[in-house]
Amino acid sequence: MSALPLRALIRTQPRRGENGVPASRLGSGVTITGSVDTEGELHIHGKVMGSVRADRLVLAADGDIEGDIVARDARICGRVTGRVFALNVMLDSTANITGRIFHHTVEVAKGARIDARMPWRPLNFFETLEQLPETQP
Amino acid sequence: MTMFSRNDKSPEPAPAAKPQATATPLNNPPPAPAAPAPVEARRAPVPSAHGAPSVSVISKALKITGQLESTEDIHIEGEVDGDIRGVAVKVGHNAKVKGTVYGEEVELSGTVTGKIEARKVVLTSTAHMSGDVIHQDIRIDSGAFIDGNCRPEYGKPDGRAHSVQKAVAAPPNYPSAKPAEARSIA
Repeated sequence: MSALPLRALIRTQPRRGENGVPASRLGSGVTITGSVDTEGELHIHGKVMGSVRADRLVLAADGDIEGDIVARDARICGRVTGRVFALNVMLDSTANITGRIFHHTVEVAKGARIDARMPWRPLNFFETLEQLPETQP
Repeated sequence: MTMFSRNDKSPEPAPAAKPQATATPLNNPPPAPAAPAPVEARRAPVPSAHGAPSVSVISKALKITGQLESTEDIHIEGEVDGDIRGVAVKVGHNAKVKGTVYGEEVELSGTVTGKIEARKVVLTSTAHMSGDVIHQDIRIDSGAFIDGNCRPEYGKPDGRAHSVQKAVAAPPNYPSAKPAEARSIA
């Protein structure tokens, strides 16, 4: 299992004075083999084979993640194979997800393809999340 | 569409559904094209809102562990622990890269520990390069730090094998070779 090198957990409250962290963008021609870790916003149009951690994650319609996702807010319009751990999950109509979606709040648009279990978790599950559980999707 | 064809085959719902189906396009044609438009409009903002530039930006708060490959330009301000393959790669002021940077054009203002292999290499005044630079065309600004060899061997077929051999052989031979040469000439 691709264990995330998670030092910190999900920040359930936005960090004070976080405006300084600029957004990152991975274009559609980008392929990353390995893990991506950021405290800020991340837009993925490319492919990531590995785990992704971000404060706010936007996976565009042409994006593809094969691995675990850890985020406070996750907006998913692309393809995900793996687990999602996010406080607030938005699944767009173009989303295609296989795996599990651990969430506190979730929104699913009509048309989203979801082949996943979507377990609800209380806030403190995300607050105390320091290491991803070993559950297999 | 499937509803329509199904209605054609089954005779019972046909009278009820068919007039409706024919009536809607005839009576109000504007709603028919208007219907797909909101869907289009709803879908459109997603890629366009976040897809304005075609470059990839890895901002200062981002860390990548592993390989980064791209068929387009990359701008790195964060931390990359692994190799980077891109077309035009800009390693920004605060960026840290551990690994090899491959590309057509590499502009370094940050720190690279490893190697740069690119056709065109620019080391700006804030660049900190620990390792070899394999290039065809290089510009080094005053203030740049380089700890390694610069070799114009980019794209040469045996460049890499040769360079590795030379890199291994050079450090022990170089200091001793010079005095020996000087002696023999003297």
